[in-house]
Amino acid sequence: MSVAPLVVALVQVAVAVVFAPLVIGVTRQTRARLEGRVGPGVLQPARDLRKLLAKTPLRAAGTSPLTVVAPVVLLASSLLLAALVPLVAALPLALVPGDLFVVVSVLLVGTVAIALLGLDAGSAFGGMGSSRHMTIAALVEPTVLVAVYALSIPAGSSALPLIVAARRDHPASIATPAGVLAVVALAIVVLAETGRLPIDNPATHLELTMIHEAMVLETSARDLAWVDLASWLRLSVLLGLVGNLLLPWGVAGTAAVGPVLLGALALAGKLAVLAVLLATAEVGMAKLRLFRVPELLAGSFVLAFLAVTASYLVA
Amino acid sequence: MSVAGELPVMSSTAAATAQLIALAAGALLVTSVLVVWRRELSAQVRLLTVQGVSLAVLAVTIGLSGPRSARAELLVVAVLVLVLRAWLLPWVVGRRLRAGIEAGDAAREDGARLNPTASLVLVALLTTVAYLVSRPISAGVATRAGGGISGPAAFAVPVGVCMVLIGFLLLVDRRRAMSQLIGFLVLDNGIATVAFLTAAGVPFAVELGVSSDVLLVVLILAVLSRRMQAQLGSTTLDSMTELKD
Amino acid sequence: MNAVAWGLLAQAALAACAVVLAVATRGRVRTVLAGLSCALVAGAGVVTGALALGGRTVVVRVATALPLPPAVIAPDRLGGLLMLLVGAVGVLASLYAIGYVHGASASRTQWAALALFLLGMQLVPAAGDVVSFLLAWELMAAASTVLVLAEHARRRTAREAAVWYAVMTHLSFVLILAGFAALAATAGATSFAALAGTDPTRPGATVAFVLLVVGFAAKAGVAPLHVWLPRAHPEAPSHASALMSAAMVSLGGYGILLVGIRLLPGGPTWWAVLLIVLGAGSAVYGILHAGVATDLKRLLAYSTSENLGLVVAAIGLAMLLRTHHVPGAASVALVAALLLLISHAAFKATLFLGAGAVLRATGERDLDRMGGLVHTMPWTAATFGVGSLGAAALPVTGGFVAEWTLLQALIHGVRPADRVVAVVVPLTLGLIALTAGLALVTFVKAFGIAFLARARSAGAAGAQEAPASMRVAMALGALAVLALGVLPGPVAAAAAAALGLTGADGARVAGLGGVELTGVGAVLSPAALVALGAVVGLPALVGVLVVGRRRPATTDVLGWGCGGVRTSPRMQYNATSYAEPVTRIFDDALQPRRDVVVTHVGESAYLAERVRFAQHVDDVVEARLYRPLVAAADAVADRARRVQNGSINRYLAFSFTALVAVLLVVVA
Repeated sequence: MSVAPLVVALVQVAVAVVFAPLVIGVTRQTRARLEGRVGPGVLQPARDLRKLLAKTPLRAAGTSPLTVVAPVVLLASSLLLAALVPLVAALPLALVPGDLFVVVSVLLVGTVAIALLGLDAGSAFGGMGSSRHMTIAALVEPTVLVAVYALSIPAGSSALPLIVAARRDHPASIATPAGVLAVVALAIVVLAETGRLPIDNPATHLELTMIHEAMVLETSARDLAWVDLASWLRLSVLLGLVGNLLLPWGVAGTAAVGPVLLGALALAGKLAVLAVLLATAEVGMAKLRLFRVPELLAGSFVLAFLAVTASYLVA
Repeated sequence: MSVAGELPVMSSTAAATAQLIALAAGALLVTSVLVVWRRELSAQVRLLTVQGVSLAVLAVTIGLSGPRSARAELLVVAVLVLVLRAWLLPWVVGRRLRAGIEAGDAAREDGARLNPTASLVLVALLTTVAYLVSRPISAGVATRAGGGISGPAAFAVPVGVCMVLIGFLLLVDRRRAMSQLIGFLVLDNGIATVAFLTAAGVPFAVELGVSSDVLLVVLILAVLSRRMQAQLGSTTLDSMTELKD
Repeated sequence: MNAVAWGLLAQAALAACAVVLAVATRGRVRTVLAGLSCALVAGAGVVTGALALGGRTVVVRVATALPLPPAVIAPDRLGGLLMLLVGAVGVLASLYAIGYVHGASASRTQWAALALFLLGMQLVPAAGDVVSFLLAWELMAAASTVLVLAEHARRRTAREAAVWYAVMTHLSFVLILAGFAALAATAGATSFAALAGTDPTRPGATVAFVLLVVGFAAKAGVAPLHVWLPRAHPEAPSHASALMSAAMVSLGGYGILLVGIRLLPGGPTWWAVLLIVLGAGSAVYGILHAGVATDLKRLLAYSTSENLGLVVAAIGLAMLLRTHHVPGAASVALVAALLLLISHAAFKATLFLGAGAVLRATGERDLDRMGGLVHTMPWTAATFGVGSLGAAALPVTGGFVAEWTLLQALIHGVRPADRVVAVVVPLTLGLIALTAGLALVTFVKAFGIAFLARARSAGAAGAQEAPASMRVAMALGALAVLALGVLPGPVAAAAAAALGLTGADGARVAGLGGVELTGVGAVLSPAALVALGAVVGLPALVGVLVVGRRRPATTDVLGWGCGGVRTSPRMQYNATSYAEPVTRIFDDALQPRRDVVVTHVGESAYLAERVRFAQHVDDVVEARLYRPLVAAADAVADRARRVQNGSINRYLAFSFTALVAVLLVVVA
């Protein structure tokens, strides 16, 4: 494996870790402003993280070592995700070329870790959240793979860096129906995977409507810090991916310092725009009933499927 | 294989035309799917408007890319499409809908026979069917146009066929008279899409005739649904079983 | 005689030895001696298979008592791979059985049947002609039926399961026999080498293909021919379930591979589409039922249906892509089929062995009554966890690599101009993705409900860890799952070699044990992925350790109960409730029966004293397809009884009529 792409991957991880709390901060702040509140400022998530790390964890009696391990696994999978997805630069690593199936399964490792975390304490809420979370993860899978299939047809590869690079070099393929439909389908899936409205309400305080929060009810202090950071990373990385698919400009094509810096700046811009858009859309949206979610996911599957058909038609 | 890869051989206008046709056809397809997806009747009517505009864009694009002699006629047809399908028909349906809601009818299609998830998956399968069966039509169009199979014809013909199928699905699946009307309009838009492509633009007279037929049907159905409302107190087709007995 | 021939001879001799030991000794001695000799039979299979896989060939002719030419035993590379696979599962199961068997499953019949079952399974892939294939197949089928019957004296359900199994397995045998007969009649030969030249366009070939595919699919447990699986696996002793589910069904997959790729390559498109529909349908159906199952072994059995469905779909995909001139992706699909078989054998063996350990420790197969076993059975929990990761196709396990390979074949099988391929491939992709997603739910449920949280019954609360021989077998299985996941390169290369894929359209090792699919130019190195994960995760891990040391956790607090104190473990989510969203979403396909009985407090309409909820998910295929068939067969049998009224004169009259009829036919 040549060293340059590896270094860039590590830079991506660092950038993602810095940006993730900010992305959450921006969405919360935007939401607060739109609702007429002052808001805590965009740095609040980072401050929360520092506070959580300084506290003593409380673990329920009867929990297994999984309660300690699962948050770390979740965090590691999110960091790996940040290394594999083309955020700052579209440079495939030689032996792990950011293949979408690999990316999805790394994502799923985190999903499974947090689902098991939810079950471990033996509380009814944890089991409920875990069950709902896994059901949604299962239904999301067909959309992800079919959407990527559609995106991979023009690029001739399922490696995300190559797909992003192909879209950057041939902008005409962005505005095709196939490209648009696939990205829209992916965007819906990203909302589902990261527990945003209308699938899950990240700010809810009602146990019975929770999905993500129900699983981490028993988690506290540093365990919670890892889970939070990991979830924020997932959101930021996937938003960054959607951003780079929609607007692939600025993504570095070489490992030189200049393009990488430019890539990081471009990423910051895209993430800021998407975070504001996300928050704005969420303000006007209510959470879907759990059993209406399959409808939404079936819709996104149809969009992905139409993208495949459409890509055949122009090919 | 990619669109971009073909760019050098096409002139820039041809490429733009292809892209525009692809986008218009994509919009037609997506709006049809969304009509199946959304249960809110007023949302469905708005989607019909978007569909009408997309159809007009398609007509204009084909008109401008066609032979110079037919251009004027096709542009007139496009205007006709725009007025009728993007404005008049949705307006009639929407007006009737609002009147119905004020008279106590439901604003949502709540009696569909298939659950939403199943109908959406069915739509995905119908796309495939449309894609499979439209090969002879696209091939015919492509030969006449002298181009390859990968032209706009190949793109839009399956879309039209798919819209026809989706329209039929709506007619079969839905219970409310208004939904039936919407399904009928989607079906008709599908037929118009295929017609624009296969005939390389529909002659003005034909389009005028077809459009006035559609208008007539919509008006009759609108009146009929008002009569149903008055007589039966609802516009669910389940109350109508006279044909059987 | 060369090494392979010696190996085959050794297997037969050791099996005979095992049978003698099983019959001659008693008690604990029998268990240890027979168990070890069964392990040796399987070990001989592993060695012989490895030699054959390495390219050593041999042709052994065995004269039989049948009026046929001598049976030919000639393992090729592919047969060697399967023999290796079956043998490896056999070693694990035999070792495990030493600690596991008790009561009826430790009888001399059971041990003798186990030895013969192993021998039969190892000889099936060695067969070089139809006769030896069918003989080995029947040995395998008969011996496995005896194994399913182990608990027949104690449980009525075991007898029922054995009847279902015996009927299905012999139906499969008859179909395969008829299929091979049709094929042999078309080709005019019985050796596989000669049959391989059959023209697939002849009508006899089509008949043979359909019969053989249906026959092998029944053995592989592919829906709708899967009905024996969810019945036989829960009833058989766990080592036998592991063997049947990990090894025997693989031979069904091998049979389909044999027919589709070796004997009748280049068939019409609809053959391939038939396999894809059968396979993908089975995958979705199987995993859906596994997802809502609460009996742990039933869940695993349905998951077998799913996995073999994926194998069959991969074979169908390979045939389709070959016929439609996409050779690169076709070869990848073939490699995927073999990798799926191999990884399935590894994780399914581990999972069944783990389920057996749980059953032995708690007396429970019902997930709704398990829980908290990670505290009392850490070994079992760890190995079952690894197996579950494999079954859910997550990195870094063999299941992940296999599924990745299959998806690569699908992604690179794009031919927009060819409408059949263009339509079939994305639909298959969608179905396989749905299967993968549901597999995640299923195995998170299986592991999480059984091993995490608190015990839901007294049996689960008093569980004890399994004895050493069982732990060793489970640990070896889990190691195999991980090894297949971290270093898949050599395995994929061997699979490609076994399929005769060399040069541009194969698979080879890339980097440190990674796999490169040369047919489509895709690379995956799980070891590199792990290394990268370690590099990026290292700061996090260091942080965890540093912060953890500075501030140790308080570990005996109450869980959140909305301000109340939770007391009963029955308040936890169980397997039924975990699968409730899935059950509800796929209500139309599963058609569950729900009974809710509410007892009210006095006259109140709002206060409930107790609520009883019961849910049953019946197998729709069994209820709709098999029950009517069985009822019809019963009715016919009732009619036929009239013929048989007990009068000796009538029976003689039948014989007399038959004699006259035969004479007339002979003369005519």
